[in-house]
This record gives sequence, C-alpha cells and structure tokens, in this order.
Amino acid sequence: MIEFEALKANTIDEAVNILDDKEKEAKIVAGGTDLLVSIHNENEDLKGLNYLLDISSVKGLDIIEDNEDHLKLGALCTHSEIIDSVLINEKLPILRKAAQTIGSTQIRNRGTVGGNINNSSPAADLITPLIALGATVVLHSSKGKRELPLSEFITGPYENNRKENEILTAVKIPYLPTDYYNNYQKVKRRQAVAIARINLAVLTDIEDNKFKDIRIAFGSATPTAIRFSEIEKELENKHINDIDYDEIKEKTGQEMVDITGERWSTPYKKPVVGNLLKRALQEIIKEVQ
Amino acid sequence: MQKIEVTLTVNKKKHTVTVEPDERLLDTLRDRLNLTGVKEGCSIGECGACTVILDGKAINSCMVYTFQIDGSEVLTVEGLETNGTLDPLQEAFIDHQAVQCGFCTPGMLMSAKALLNENPNPDRDEIKTAIEGNLCRCTGYQQIIEAIESAANQDRSE
Amino acid sequence: MNYKLYKKKKTKTQFLSKNINGGVLMDFKHVNKSEKRVDVYEKVTGKAKYGADMKFQDMLHAKVLYTEYPYAKIKNIDTSKAEKQPGVKAVITAEDIPNNEFGVIIENQQVLAKEKALYIGDGIAVVAAETAKQAKNAVEMIEVEYEELEGIYDPLKSRQEDSQLVHEELEDNEVIHHPLRKGDIKKGFENSDVIIEREYDTPFIEQAYIEPEAVVAVPYQENSTVTVYGSVQNPFATQNAVSTVLQEDLNKVRVVQNHMGGAFGGKDEVISSLAARASVLALKTERPIRIVNTRDESIKESYKRHPYNMKYRIGATKDGKIQAMEIEAVADSGAYACQTPFVTWRSVVQATGPYEVDNVKTDTYGYYTNNVYTGAMRGYGSPPIIFAQESLMDELADELDIDPVELRMKNIYHNNSVTASGQKLDNHEVSLEEVLTKAVDKSNFVEKFKEYQKEQPGDKKRGIGLSISFRGCSLGAEAIDAAGIILSLKKDGSVTLYSGLAENGQGLKTVYSQIAAEELGLETSQVNFMEVDTLISPDSGSTVASRATLIGGNAVKKAADNLIDKIKEYIADKYDQKEEDIVLKDGAIYGKKDVEIMKITEMAAKAAMEGVYLTTYGWYVSPDISWDEETGHGNPYFTYVYGCQVAEVEVDTGTGEIDVLNMTAAHDVGRAINPANVKGQIYGGVLMGLGYGIMEEVETNEGYIENTNFDEYMIPTVKDMPDIEPIIVENPDPNGPYGAKSIGEPTLELGAAAIANAVANATNKRIRSLPLNLEKVIVGKDLTKGGDH
Repeated sequence: MIEFEALKANTIDEAVNILDDKEKEAKIVAGGTDLLVSIHNENEDLKGLNYLLDISSVKGLDIIEDNEDHLKLGALCTHSEIIDSVLINEKLPILRKAAQTIGSTQIRNRGTVGGNINNSSPAADLITPLIALGATVVLHSSKGKRELPLSEFITGPYENNRKENEILTAVKIPYLPTDYYNNYQKVKRRQAVAIARINLAVLTDIEDNKFKDIRIAFGSATPTAIRFSEIEKELENKHINDIDYDEIKEKTGQEMVDITGERWSTPYKKPVVGNLLKRALQEIIKEVQ
Repeated sequence: MQKIEVTLTVNKKKHTVTVEPDERLLDTLRDRLNLTGVKEGCSIGECGACTVILDGKAINSCMVYTFQIDGSEVLTVEGLETNGTLDPLQEAFIDHQAVQCGFCTPGMLMSAKALLNENPNPDRDEIKTAIEGNLCRCTGYQQIIEAIESAANQDRSE
Repeated sequence: MNYKLYKKKKTKTQFLSKNINGGVLMDFKHVNKSEKRVDVYEKVTGKAKYGADMKFQDMLHAKVLYTEYPYAKIKNIDTSKAEKQPGVKAVITAEDIPNNEFGVIIENQQVLAKEKALYIGDGIAVVAAETAKQAKNAVEMIEVEYEELEGIYDPLKSRQEDSQLVHEELEDNEVIHHPLRKGDIKKGFENSDVIIEREYDTPFIEQAYIEPEAVVAVPYQENSTVTVYGSVQNPFATQNAVSTVLQEDLNKVRVVQNHMGGAFGGKDEVISSLAARASVLALKTERPIRIVNTRDESIKESYKRHPYNMKYRIGATKDGKIQAMEIEAVADSGAYACQTPFVTWRSVVQATGPYEVDNVKTDTYGYYTNNVYTGAMRGYGSPPIIFAQESLMDELADELDIDPVELRMKNIYHNNSVTASGQKLDNHEVSLEEVLTKAVDKSNFVEKFKEYQKEQPGDKKRGIGLSISFRGCSLGAEAIDAAGIILSLKKDGSVTLYSGLAENGQGLKTVYSQIAAEELGLETSQVNFMEVDTLISPDSGSTVASRATLIGGNAVKKAADNLIDKIKEYIADKYDQKEEDIVLKDGAIYGKKDVEIMKITEMAAKAAMEGVYLTTYGWYVSPDISWDEETGHGNPYFTYVYGCQVAEVEVDTGTGEIDVLNMTAAHDVGRAINPANVKGQIYGGVLMGLGYGIMEEVETNEGYIENTNFDEYMIPTVKDMPDIEPIIVENPDPNGPYGAKSIGEPTLELGAAAIANAVANATNKRIRSLPLNLEKVIVGKDLTKGGDH
C-alpha cells in the first residue's frame, strides 16, 4: 500500500528545499489528475514514495505572461485557464485548441500544463503543439534555474530530464507572427474524455502560396512527440496547389516507421498519420483560399 | 499517521477537520461530513459521479487530497436546496425525466450548476462540454440536456 | 426496386385489453401519461441512500483478496500476519464458508476459491477491519502459495474432446446445448438460388452501472440471522444464495434493497457472492460488514455479457425468399455456469431473426473456460445474435441485389406467421411491418441508402443501416413466471405497495404507482411504493427480461382489482348499492346513477373501524408456454415485442472514427404506461447499443482483464450521443396491463447491428466483429488480438 506524508510549499524556495531534502522519496502534486490515478493504480514507479509535496499554493506559478517575443506560462496554469485566456487565443490559438480536447471540464479545471509536461505521456495534448512551437521549459532547484528545449526535456515515454530536486516552474513559448496558420488534429476512440490515439500539430506560414517554416509534430506515433523533419523538408517551399498527397501520405508513414520500426499498431498508424497530415494541410489550404 | 488540520466551508458551513494525507475530498465529504450525495464511481476522475464545485469550479472530488485545499469553499448536491426550495436545476431534472437510477445525478447537477453560474445562457454545445465528464448509463443524456436547457431558460425569463 | 410494392394489406385485428369497468375503453387518468417519477426528489437532493451510503453502528469494512492468476492451484493460504494487523477483526477463506457453492441454475460458483482459482476475479480471502484502509492493508499481508496452471481461454478450444476440463468433476466443458430443428434443411438449401456463409464475433461486455457493487450484511437484526442491504437487483435470488451458503432457513435471511445505481442485469450472482461473504463475516464478528467494490474490482470480478462466435449459413431464392438457415452459436461461459443455460436458450429461440423460414437448424452452446464468467446483461443472448443475423440479412441483400428493406419485407412475420419453433403468432398484433415502415419512413432510409452506395468524395463517408428484431417477453421457458403484489389501503386513505420486483432505476416504482392509482381512482402521489424487502414482498422471481411492467404490472392490477372487489362488497352491503354500479374514480366512490357515495379516505376510515381489512394480494401467473428441449419446438414465449432501429453514420476512412449522426428507434410497447419513461428507455438503450457497436470491449489476455476502469473500458459520453428519434408504437397486448408489454431490452439489442450495416453502406466493407473500432475500420481486423475478420 502506498503511504506518504503530506508536505506543502508556499514558495518555490520552500519547494526546492524540500526536494533537496527528500529527493527520490518525494513526488510533486498540484492538480493531481495524473498522480492520484497512479496512486489509485499503485503504479510501479511510485515505489519508495514517502512524501507528497503539494505545490498548488505556490505563488506566481500560474502566470500567463506576455513578453515581447514569447509567452511565459506558469506550470500551475490549468487547462481551463489556457482555454479562457484571451491572450493565448490571440497569440497561440493552437494551444487553446489542444487544451479543449483534454479530459473533461472537471479535469481541465484541475489539470495543469506543468503536470501535462511532467507526465510526459506520448499522447499528451499540450506537448505536441508545444514541440511544434519550439517551447522551452524552466526548471528551478536550490542551485538556481535552468532552461532547455521541451524536445530535449522529454526523453522517452513517461520519461523526462527533470532531476529529483527540480521543479518545472514555467514553459516559454516563442511567439509566431500572427499570420501563421495552425491546425490541431486528434484521433479518439470516442468523442470526449479520450486519450489521443494519434495527435498532430501543424503550424506554417504561407508566402506566395507556398508553405514556409512549416512545423509538423505528431504525438502518440513515436515514443515521444516529435517534429517530423523529413516531411517538413518535403513540404517546405512547396506550392499549396502542387502537393502530391499520396506521396506525402506515404512518406509521413514511412518517417514514422523509420523511427519506431514495425509494431503491432503500425498497420493502423502508418496510413493514419499520413491521412491526418493530409487533412490538416487541406484544412489550412482551404483557410488560405 | 500524520494528521493535518484543514478548514473547509462546505455548503456555506465552516468545518474544521483533521485528515490523513491520503484522504481525498470525496472521503472527507462522504465519511466525515456525512454528505453521501457525493458518489464514488471509478476513483480515477473518469465518471464524474463525485463532481462537486470547489472554489467555483466543477472538479472530481476523488482527484483532490483534502490537505491540499485548506480554506476552500465546496458546494455539493446537498447545498442546492435552500430553505426547502429546490434549485431550478433540480426542478428541471424532475420535470424532464432526467433521472433514472439517480447515481450520476448529483455529479451531473453540480457540473450543470457550475456551468450556469459562469454562463447563464449556454448553447447546447456548451452544455454538452460541461457534462462530458459525467457518465450516465441509464438515460442516454437527452432528457438531461433538455432539463439543463430548461433551467437556463427559466433563469433567463426571471 | 420500390419496397412499397410488396407491402401487404394491413389486417390489424383489434386486440383489446381488459380494463376496469368491464371492457369499455376509457380515457386514462394516470396510465399512458408522462407522470413525474415518484422517486426523483430524493435522488436530486442527494438524500437517496445507495448501498455504499448505508452506515450502521460498529460497522466493519471488508476487502477481498483476489487471485493473482486466472487459473491456479491454491496450495496454501497464510492469514496469520493479516490477522495481527491493526484494526483487523476477522479473516475468512473458503474453509470458513459453511456451503461454498451456489448458483441460480447450476450450483458450481465458489463463494471463495477453495482448491483452485478458476478465473482472475475469484476471491481467495476476505478481511474485515475497522476501516477500509486497514482492511486493504491487511489484505496485502495475506500470503498465498499458488501453483500457476495453464488455463483454457477459448470456447472453440474448450469444446473440443481432448480439451482440459475447467471443472474436473464434470465430463466435459459443455455448460449447455440447445438444438432447434424445423423442416428439412437439406431441401431448403437445394431450393435456394443463393447461399452465403458468414462468421461473426462479439466480445465480453461490461454492464458498467455507474454505481459499483455494494452490500452491508447486518447480523441478528430483529428475528433475522442476517439482513443484507445493498445494491441488490434480485433480492430473492440473493436471499436464496445467502441461505444456501450459510445453510440457514430462508425465513432467517432477509434482504432489503436500497436505491440502486443501475444494474442492467449485472447485479445478480456477483452481489449474491459479496452478500454471502459479508454474511459469513457478519456472523463471525457479530458486527455489520460492508463490502463496496472499486471500479477495478467490479470489472475484474463481476460477470460479463457472453462473447459469441456465430456461424450462419443462409439460402434464399433469387427474389429474396429465405429457404433455409443453419446456425451455430458458441458462447463463452467463463469459469461458472451462471445464467449461460438461459442466455443461450433465448439465442436459440431468436437466432433466425423475425423471419419466416421453413427449414431451420440452430444449435447454441455454452462452454466453460478460465475467462471471467458470463451472465445476464440487458438483452440476454439477443444482442450478439441480432448483430450477426441482421448483418447477414444485409449481406444477403447485397448478394441478391435487393435493397435491405425489401428483403426484410419479403420475409418478416405477420399475424399468424409461424416461427422457427413452430409457434403461431396469433394472440397479439405482429407489428414488424409497422415498426419497420415507421422507422424507415422517418429516417428517409431508402433514398439515403441508395445515395450512400454511390462513390463519395473525401475521407468522410456517410452510410445508413437498419436492424429489426422480435423479442419474446419475460422469461419464457426459463423459469416459473409469476409475480406478486401486496396492496394496502390504510385507514387514512394512503396506499402502500409491496412488490417483489425491484426498482433498478428503470422507473418501475412510478409505473406501478400509476397503475395502482389508475385502478383505485387515486392520485399517483398517494401511493407509496416500498423498497423490496424479502420479509414481506412476495417472491416474484428476478427483475429481468423486461418483465416488470408486463408481469408485475399485471400483479398490481390484480391486487387493485381484488381490493376494489372488497370495497364493492363492503359498500354494497352497507349502503344499499349493487356491486356492479359501484365505481372508484377521482378519489371517491360512486354508486347508482353516478351519484357520489363518499370519498375514498372516508370509506377507508369507516372500514377500519368496522373491522374490514383493506389489504389485498395480487398474484399473476403468466400464460402457459411450452418447449421441447430436443427439437426446439413449442411456444417459448406467450407474447413478443417488435422493434426497428435505423442508424445514420459518418465514417472517417482516414482515421477509422465513426460518428453516429442520428438513430431512429421504433418500438412496439403494447401500451406506454409512462411515455416519458419509455422515451428514457429508448434514449438509454440506443446509447448502450451504440457503445456495443463502436467502442466497448472487455479486453482479455490469457484470462487477465486488461482494461479494468473507465479510462480504458469506454462507454458513451454525452458527446457520443446521436440525435435520437424515438417512435413509440402501441398495439395493446391482450396479456399486458392496459396492453403494456416490454421496452427495456429491445432498445439495446438493435443498435450495434444497425450501425454495422450503416458502416458497410458507407465504406462497402463489411466488419464482422464488434466493436467496430478504429483499427477494424482502417485495417479490416483487430490488431491487438491478431483477429482475422
């Protein structure tokens, strides 16, 4: 049975000091929508858990800060707050679209962006667009803070680079010029409260009716959400009316398989990643026209 | 076992309880405060039967440890009826046959209540989004939606 | 081809039902009205007490230790450490159970595993402690020595002669075999221009009531040895089980039903098992014992809907008249027999679908495996069969190049048709054509079906499909089919009603109250329906088979009629009236020349003072049925209901997602006692059928259940809800109260088949196993199990 002592931190300093002290024995809890499930299921990786550090009251971690060239999202921002934010809707609407597909209203009212990133699920709905956006994460410890790209922070399914004495405090998202097109796709087994079978974030500028700086990130297709750089290269500078969709579909599927190898789900995922990308591109092109 | 003192305002009444670290808000409400209207259906935040309103937001009370929410305000289904008068939502559920076995009903009412508190004029999509996390196996949801729409309209007409 | 050309002239005979005041059809006051449910106030305020809400003084909490392996020898159980844990008051194993085996049909279900665990949900021991946490902690301290064995997990294997035995005391793994033979199958196929053979599969399904199982057993309450409270669907079956297990007389075991958070057939044997365990502990500790399952425990332990493998062979003339059907259906019974004999019996009766077929050979089977055991779930042997047979009809239509409506029109039953069992349908209106026509017209089926067959651009393709069924009402040849009601008019004019059939959430309390109020001339609110209490309620069998309105409703009527007779006798004697002139209506008693004699409340008071006892008993026994076990001949049900559902879908052939846009559901209910209630049943049943069709599946792997909670066992959310058009059809049945018959199960059994046919219309590809999930739509087969359909 999992037993733990409760610890509460009201400031980042308090939190990191506790982590220094307890290290592996402590787990951080905020919204709890992932952790309490793991505790109920008595997950293997909770062995040795002796302390639960609640950081939900730590001041300053739920900011949505408009900086000149980037948005700073505090780790405690809930998905509901992301959805309700006028600023995010204006500057980074793809995040709003993705957040709307997470869980249920009850889960979105508690679940946080920090939790979503820390859980590092391959299917996480915020991670895929954040990868496409080139976000970086900010980690605090008693030694100070460090920043690294989200794509480096996540190291495998449910695995990340956070050290035992670190807290993820924010994610920084570089702004795109507002005339970038954005598209979020999510395949689900039912219409609500469903994990992504596959998700896709596409961001692109259009110049002279050509794709420019196109970013294509898939989640739940490869061990971690990543940008499919080959297909991005393929589409970069292509004219929107000059796309061989069959070829794109084939190449997308192949890029996935090149990374994952043949798995039991490949007969399904291989065609579907291609179909999803085609759909996203066609929706964007329709908007352009 | 560690004991933590927590003060909560539940259905407008203040309570100070002493809880263990792993006591969920659900357990505090049901077992300590005898508010058995809050139901446990799955324990992992999927079914919504345990939905209550915490500081104005609908949440799954099985997904919150009580020690985390010292000083918070909670509204449960027992707090909807005031001075013997049913909330318009409760009346609407009765009028529209929106209740069969009734197990999902308290959670459903709280999600709807939270919605109408924030958005007194929801459209059908907004209603569905508000209750998408409340599973019902009996009713097929249709009459529940009609009840919530009716309660919203009623409030508007007043 | 226009199916309307084949529409037979309707010969609608008037099957009037008897009613009060001697056969004159009157306007109803309460019946056929959408009255508000009588049990809603407590549910919307949170005051209703369900099993897990019950609190008793000195109550202990119990937790079950489940087996680690689906099939294993239990070599040793060491509970000594557990017994020493803080708060622990008792630990029991199979050794402590007076009689460890029970069962409704075959008594081979273990309360706790004795020598072997036979499936993953078998319980090994139970701990009772002061708190649930202490019980859980102590459970982890129990040390069990297992010898893991290789189990058998496929009924198609366990049926083979050399297969290992799941129950070693038996000769083989066959639970049951139901044969049905009609005509000459060889000749039938010889006369066929087209013959097709198909195989269909359906999975384990979880009832997924939102309230998990909960019981509290209280020892030595009043004169009972033990009283069981909780979420008990069939209080008398549970009473029987506990009595068998404790080896106590029935009059010492009491079961009181609390509000139930849904059952759908699923709270019978599993609840009896928990009740038995709790009762043994209650007597051991002399304290109330509470057992409440978590969702994971519920999904692991409780019985499921049977998976079916079905092989169909059908022959028809080229103009679409079916000549022969050969059917073999194999059901997985899991570790215990449970309800398999009856579930598969309904399948053998209904396997051909509602079609006139002169030559039929049907065999249904149930086999033991080491999978989770299977039993009753809404539909009870019909949903898998309907998925197969209605898919088959569309495949045949395609083969013959006839449209699906026309093919059905050519073959469906009408009044005086003869079924596969040789039963002539002549005592009620056979309304298949009516429900089919209404559903098809409302949904614009014919036009859309043609439209959607054409090439559709883009990935998202639309389709429309239909399914049609006949369903035998109530238990048929399964068991004695009778129900009782005790009706009591108190001296202040209020009424109590004791029923042996239980409110599961379906609205039974309201319907019975309406019937009583209608008969007695009172307001529905004056009738107080009491919770089922085996102490006083008459044993009416189980609340299953959509029989509550039909059988129980008739019992209410009988009880009310008996009461009215008593009142008439009393009034006629005292007030110089003729019994035939006396009428109860609008709260008063009227006599000669329609003059009011007195109010009913006044009469009740007077009668009480004069020693006239106004409590009566109504016992209704269903009409005779017959069944020959060797040939499948007879009249298996005394009446039937008919339904047709149409589903329109949009299939995303790019991702495999199916969006069910709308569903039309036409159901003949005889008479809707409460139309809003009937609608609620339609909405709920349609959605459950949708879940069966596109998302639900208990995934098993070598006996382990992989998806034990709602994150992975998906049931429809509000956003999965299609637009539903309910069509209530009323052809009053002479055997039903006010002509009413059944609705609960018919609404669920059709959806998956209609959706499957719609998907085939959209994609021109046929998927022959449920659910129609993402992988099957894209790849054509299930990927996790490497299936080949």
